[in-house]
This record gives sequence, C-alpha cells and structure tokens, in this order.
Amino acid sequence: MRALAFLLVFASGGAWALESGAPLPPLSAPALGDPAHKVAFGDTKGSVVYVDFWASWCAPCRQSMPLLQSLQQRYGARGLRVIGVNKDVSVADAHRFLRTVPVDFTLVQDAGDALAHAFDVKAMPSGYLADRHGVVRFVHRGFTAESGAALEREILSLLDETR
Amino acid sequence: MKRTWIAFLLLGGCVHVAPYDRGYLARPDMALDAGLGTARALEKIHPSKEAASGGASVGGGGCGCN
Repeated sequence: MRALAFLLVFASGGAWALESGAPLPPLSAPALGDPAHKVAFGDTKGSVVYVDFWASWCAPCRQSMPLLQSLQQRYGARGLRVIGVNKDVSVADAHRFLRTVPVDFTLVQDAGDALAHAFDVKAMPSGYLADRHGVVRFVHRGFTAESGAALEREILSLLDETR
Repeated sequence: MKRTWIAFLLLGGCVHVAPYDRGYLARPDMALDAGLGTARALEKIHPSKEAASGGASVGGGGCGCN
C-alpha cells in the first residue's frame, strides 16, 4: 500500500510553478513570425513586464488580448512592457487570430516549450507581472473581467514604485 | 505487490497533456460529440446497419432508405 501511495505521488507530476517573488527566467525567444529576431527577458529590467501565455484556441484569450493591447497603449510610456508568448501549433493560426484581435506589443513564439517549462504554465492564459527589478510579483491564471481589473491595479502599483 | 502492478498497468494509459499543449485537442474535429449534421446522419444510418429500427428511428427494413 505504501508503494502504491509513492507511485501516485510521483505519477501526479508534481512541479513547482513560478510564483510571486521569483525572478523572471533569463531566457530569450524568437519573435513571432520573425525567428531571426530574438527577444531576451533579461533586457527588460527597468520596465514593468507582463509575460502572457496565449493561443488562438484559448477562448478567454479573445478577451484578454484586447485588454493587454489597451494596457500597453495607455501605460507603455510609463514603463509597461507586455510580452505575449504564443503557444499555437502553427504560426499561421496565431496570425489568423491576430487579424481579428490585432495587437502591437511584443510577441514571441515558444515552439520547443522552453518558456512554458521555465514558467511552469498551469493554465491558459497565464500571465506573470514582474516589477522593474525583474522579480515576478503577481501571477494570473485564466482570465475574467475581475482579474483584468485587478491586473490594471497591480500594474499601476508597480509603475508607481520607486526605481 | 499485486496492487502496485495493477496501478502501474492503469497509469500506463494516462498521459498528462500540458495546458499549453492542448491546441490539437481544442480543434472542432476533436470534440467528443459530432456536429449536428453528422450526428443526424449517424442516427439514421445506425439502425439500418444494425438491421433493426432503433429508438431514434422510424420503422424500416434495414435498407437505409426510409
């Protein structure tokens, strides 16, 4: 019976998610549709960064992406930087989605799942809000109107923190 | 020990698909329920193939033409 319990514990695939207080993983990823251009997460210090994992098949992303676009437009000048990590199987699916939900913040692709593993993404969409020192302060899993409003308040509080 | 082996065998069939890897599973043709048109076609064909009129069908001789 003890062996069975052990087995179930290991079979559950326990993993430690990236939570508040952890630094942003020092990774880089190719830009969506332009693999020659690499975006490095380490270059974002000094900005408040929101890393959002999204996909065209993710229904709540239809609501979250326009909000992120609006937040980037309103707070970009104050130091907000939104980075969208696309998890589509094909880049064409992502571009089809972006034709209906256009955004102009930084988009990267994660074909080998390296970013998804590093952030240990538990839901779609998942967002990680990091302060100007590159430390994750808030994590959002899933998206609702309430969590969108909370995200804006958190962004404003981080933008107001002294550098 | 026997229980452990049974658990091993059962767990072998379980695959965890990460939330970010569910693009294929989200495709409409991966839905468990068929679309409305396909479901109606299957409903019509099934009793005919079984050579009997099912609960969802009108009477028929199994020719599939009713």
